[in-house]
Amino acid sequence: MYRVACVGYTNAWPLTRHLDPRVFEVVPCVPSEAARLLREREADLGLIPVAALLTDGDWRVAPGHCIGCDGDVASVLLVGETPIEEWEAVALDGESRTSVVLAQILLKGPLGRPDLRVYPVDAGTGAFHAQGRTGAVVIGDAARNLPARLTTRIDLGRVWKDWTGLPFVFAVWAGRADVGTEAVAGLRAAAEKGLAERAFAPAEDRHYLTANIRYELDDKALMGLRRFAALGHAAGLLARDTFSLYGPSAAPRPRRVDLDTLLARGAEGDRLTLDDGVRLETEARLEDLGNAAHQRRLALHPGREVTYIISRNINYTNVCVTACKFCAFYRPKNHPEAYVLTREQLHQKLTELVACGGVEVLLQGGLNLALGIEYYEDLFRWIKANYPVALHALSPEEIFHIMSVSKLTMEETLDRLIAAGMDSMPGGGAEVLVDEVRKRIAPLKCTSEEWLAVMRMSHQKGLRSSATMMFGVGESSRHRMEHLVRLRDLQDEHGGFTAFICWTFVPENTYVQPGNNTAAAWLRTNATSRLVLDNFDNLQASWVTQGPGVAQASLTMGCNDFGSVMLEENVVSAAGSTWAMTIDDVEHHIRTAGFVPVRRNMRYDHLEVRDVRAQPGV
Amino acid sequence: MTELSPVSVRAVDAAGLSDIRAKVQAGVRLSFEDGVRLYHTEEIATLAALANLDRERRWGDLTFFNRNVHVNTTNVCEASCIFCSFARLKTGDAGAYTMSIDEAVGRIRALRDELITEVHIVNGLNPDLPWGYYPDLLRAIKAERPDLHIKAFTAVEIHYFAEKYGKSYREVLEELRAAGLGSLPGGGAEIFHPRARRKLCHDKVDADGWLEVHRVAHRMGMRTNCTMLFGSIETVEERIDHMVRLRSLQDETGGFQTFIPLRFHHENNRLQRLKEPTGFESLRTYAISRLMLDNIDHIKAYWVMLGMKLAQVSLNWGVDDLDGTIREERIYHMAGAKTPQELTRAELVQLIRDAGRVPVERDTLYNVVAEA
Repeated sequence: MYRVACVGYTNAWPLTRHLDPRVFEVVPCVPSEAARLLREREADLGLIPVAALLTDGDWRVAPGHCIGCDGDVASVLLVGETPIEEWEAVALDGESRTSVVLAQILLKGPLGRPDLRVYPVDAGTGAFHAQGRTGAVVIGDAARNLPARLTTRIDLGRVWKDWTGLPFVFAVWAGRADVGTEAVAGLRAAAEKGLAERAFAPAEDRHYLTANIRYELDDKALMGLRRFAALGHAAGLLARDTFSLYGPSAAPRPRRVDLDTLLARGAEGDRLTLDDGVRLETEARLEDLGNAAHQRRLALHPGREVTYIISRNINYTNVCVTACKFCAFYRPKNHPEAYVLTREQLHQKLTELVACGGVEVLLQGGLNLALGIEYYEDLFRWIKANYPVALHALSPEEIFHIMSVSKLTMEETLDRLIAAGMDSMPGGGAEVLVDEVRKRIAPLKCTSEEWLAVMRMSHQKGLRSSATMMFGVGESSRHRMEHLVRLRDLQDEHGGFTAFICWTFVPENTYVQPGNNTAAAWLRTNATSRLVLDNFDNLQASWVTQGPGVAQASLTMGCNDFGSVMLEENVVSAAGSTWAMTIDDVEHHIRTAGFVPVRRNMRYDHLEVRDVRAQPGV
Repeated sequence: MTELSPVSVRAVDAAGLSDIRAKVQAGVRLSFEDGVRLYHTEEIATLAALANLDRERRWGDLTFFNRNVHVNTTNVCEASCIFCSFARLKTGDAGAYTMSIDEAVGRIRALRDELITEVHIVNGLNPDLPWGYYPDLLRAIKAERPDLHIKAFTAVEIHYFAEKYGKSYREVLEELRAAGLGSLPGGGAEIFHPRARRKLCHDKVDADGWLEVHRVAHRMGMRTNCTMLFGSIETVEERIDHMVRLRSLQDETGGFQTFIPLRFHHENNRLQRLKEPTGFESLRTYAISRLMLDNIDHIKAYWVMLGMKLAQVSLNWGVDDLDGTIREERIYHMAGAKTPQELTRAELVQLIRDAGRVPVERDTLYNVVAEA
């Protein structure tokens, strides 16, 4: 039970009447007593005038609600029988110190009467003292029922608002720092209920409670309170110029002993279930996941080597009929920016690639209805005949496209492409291999089963491929783990996947609302992937999407490969990811992370290479 | 009590750091040699495990940020620090500026509808300004917005004022405090060790002077911050030496609130031949700072120069404070920082939540300002 000091003013009941009696015991009092009750520990929380808050103990303020105004307040006035210009003194009614401090600040400021003599009078006697050339501060319900002789009535809420542009806060819920968060939540719940009932208040109060009193302790109100604290403190009227709200708890999360076994099993390469994956990804600490993933990586690749490949991503066409909502690269066929690369353009790109020591071309494009199997066969043969590079080409999506344009079976298509020189297949277009996610973000793309079927047949025919996952599109952890388990199941069949690469969705210039696509999420999912994909040899760090620094961190959290020095990457850069690195940069980042850079080919064989870094343009 | 999981214990021990792990777990102070050894491990996930243990013991998942405004009222500067892209400008040089007090106040007035709580002022060492400019500037800001805490002038500037205008540190600080100064930022520390300091900024206040300014400020009851510029020409030993000097002063005064490691940028200055420190270097420096500076409450990452992705990830390497929603930023952008100049509060809060942390909006003195 929390003892709550509550004042009986009209303006307080919306905050106090619905305090849950199972949580709160109401201690009725007048405003000046509320602070004393708190100080003397006869109450745990109270509706505290802000002057007391800024004078007395080290209390915390409950966020959410207060008693304030934003303009006319009607119940805090300077009153007199004569105009303020004629006054010689002001009686300060002891009922409310906050109003008294406010009045003194305003007399010195916008009211322009810093010269007035002020003197305290007993609580509730303000109106009585307002006579002749003496004005008075009157507050509360008394201020709303003034005798007719008091013709000067200056609303201090209005004067404050006109001067500062801010609301004024008279009282807040405040209490000792150690009050639990459930009490703070209880105050808010009571206020929400009570405020909704203002509509049923007696007619004479309704306007006051809805138009005069402002109950929100929002940014504006907090600014008003901070301004008051600063001014009152500077004027020597308030002891403190700052205050603190109740915040969330700083207590550390306890270690989850039940996850230790799972982490250890993952680190040992034991097979984890889909549920295990979800638990690790959502509940383990990032550094524990990372250390477990690194242990697994070291078991698979004991040295301190980190591989990378020099590759060129050639997007042979940007014409596409799929219109995926997350894609910023595609163009419809008659769009002015639509293209299919010419042989001259391809020649230049491939020549540059070879000159830079490139060993692989990554050939991917849109689904262009003008391009059938003959286009690909010609292109592949021409490339293989003229350039010493491996052909890492086409995604499952493109295979389906060729099947449909050229009316071929999957087997015929793959056989003809392999005969034309295709060496391996990148794992693009996998996105998240769960149809409810795919339907939402890429409704025209092949289903998960179809994607896997192309991969399965490719692996049967001896093609190797990589596997990818693009996440952060609002999918769940379970969706991601389903994806990993599907890849793992297929890998059990033929072992055709060389590596797994995951990256986060880059939302710029696309139509998909991102989910958690941050770097922290990527490190977590990537490390979990290392543990779940027990039959994958290699994990690539996607520096293109995460930036080189985060990619470095992933080298001790599951990754053993730094991807490629890519001479081109149109798709991700179209969506706003702008990292670019030269061979020097890639090697520097690998080295400074404490590893030895080793160049590889598409099959992850380590290469002995001549140093091409001296060449211009690399 | 937060503890290390066995998988992280195994990783730390495999990296040869079991004795340091035992100290961290027991809350025992790390030695200079321990700090150097931590810098020699390449397994930075193990540093994350150690630093995060310490961070969560202090703050759990809390991650602090504040809404402030940065104002650099002059970039004219007599000093010739070789890492600076901003300085050695004379009045009248192309790109040199000195704001009038009205202009500076105008920057504050433009934010009159926002719940900012702090103004952060760092300037060049401008030989053409009279002493009165500085207290007048503070008074004018306080008159416009009395609720703002003014965190202004690095120890380098305070030292320059003292020398140029013939005052003691204390006199300078007293006059500025009377005009509204609330606390000192931590800039200008760079690297304390004389070898590196001579190369980086030979005509700037030395380590003892920098520390003495903060000592005086702390004795007057002011809180201050401290920094370290890492990744230029200093050695690992010089970084640890820097941390140990700060730790010693903190033992004496307890006045430092926050340590902010600042990453060296190389564009538009005289150190372009140097490679900038990588993200790896930043992360391990955060972690080692957290572990070495056992008597300083907070470690802050400055996302304007680090990038949002690394800044978010740093929350697992000892950082508990992100310098957030900055609306005016000149210094790092002239040195080629490629990150956005400002984030909205909602974006920063989401970034913190997406890292699994709990955002807390603070003021300069770490009071909770508003719900996040």
